[in-house]
Amino acid sequence: MTGKCNADEARAELRGWVLSTAPGLAEDKLTDTTPLLEARLITSLHVPELLLLIERLRGRPIDLSALSAGDLKDLATICARFLE
Amino acid sequence: MESMSRLVDVLCESSRRNFHNIYDLVAWPERVEPTRDWFMSPELCSLAGTEVWDLLSPEAQKRLAFHEAVNFFSLNIHGESALMQGLAQRLYGLRTRAVSPYLHHFLDEENKHCVLFGTFCERYAGKVYPDRKVVSSATIGDAGQADFLFFAKVLIFEELVDRFNLAMSKDRRLHPIAVAINHNHHVEEARHLAFGRRMCAELWAAGRPAWGPEACAAMRAYLQQFFAVSWKEYYNPDVYRDAGLAAELAGRWDACDPWALQHYGWQHPASRARRISMSERCMSFLALLGAGPQPENAEHERVP
Repeated sequence: MTGKCNADEARAELRGWVLSTAPGLAEDKLTDTTPLLEARLITSLHVPELLLLIERLRGRPIDLSALSAGDLKDLATICARFLE
Repeated sequence: MESMSRLVDVLCESSRRNFHNIYDLVAWPERVEPTRDWFMSPELCSLAGTEVWDLLSPEAQKRLAFHEAVNFFSLNIHGESALMQGLAQRLYGLRTRAVSPYLHHFLDEENKHCVLFGTFCERYAGKVYPDRKVVSSATIGDAGQADFLFFAKVLIFEELVDRFNLAMSKDRRLHPIAVAINHNHHVEEARHLAFGRRMCAELWAAGRPAWGPEACAAMRAYLQQFFAVSWKEYYNPDVYRDAGLAAELAGRWDACDPWALQHYGWQHPASRARRISMSERCMSFLALLGAGPQPENAEHERVP
């Protein structure tokens, strides 16, 4: 639970979180560009937990005032925006 | 909804009788001393009852309680902001026309609460903690379902904060300003809760026959998730950072970054016991209605 992860570890943990949040989703159906909110793999109610996870993985807070739903579009976008 | 007219009359009369100028209600001290006075009841702090809490000095516990109070008031601001948006959208609506006279008071009182919460946060902490619910909820089901879910979410939010308000309105260890804010909120929430419970019951009873079991199950699941999200906001890593817990715990506790403490606090059995106790009234109401997890479900399935 502690410390900043490297990009590969962070991506793997994010991916695991999405799979656990959308239990009906087969692993091979989740790619880096699968839309998360649009495909309703996650909903607006999952977003606070997702943001906490991203903050933990990068080891610093996110500026919530500059955030939009597009920043959470898919795993690739999240990683590029917050974790690399 | 016409059947609510008597309740609406009573609540409107009570709101008019208790109408007040919010700017005269509280004498704001120039400054406060977060390490000298309590601003949140220690037993209600997110880390209360944990090993980490016991490691903190009395001053550090009070400093944490101050930031917990700022977080609690910030949650109220965000919750009431969403509430006011939803109430304003429903003024003189198709299904809410009959209760609109009371919606005006509801809006007025919620706005006044935000004045108190916002003044405390800005004056003494220099900020309101930001809301992590940055993506708006998608509409679920038809307009009747959306109305029910809106009022059910309002009820969950207000039931939880009222448990905190009620306890702190009676806690003489707290700084008088904290007692006053919690007391004012509790008194007015009593009307809002009476209205909210009745609205939920009316909307559920009116809509349920047409919605069908699948839609009802989806709404139950949605509310269950909303309940969990609402509780999680009480465990805010920003609070642990501002309270300086990493420095306070250095060398005495391994995982003391703000997110580790958030995870630790959320998962701790003492926290869970507190959530179960404070959720019971709301959970029982929703279960009785048929809109929440039923009592025969295991406790861990009912309360986050």
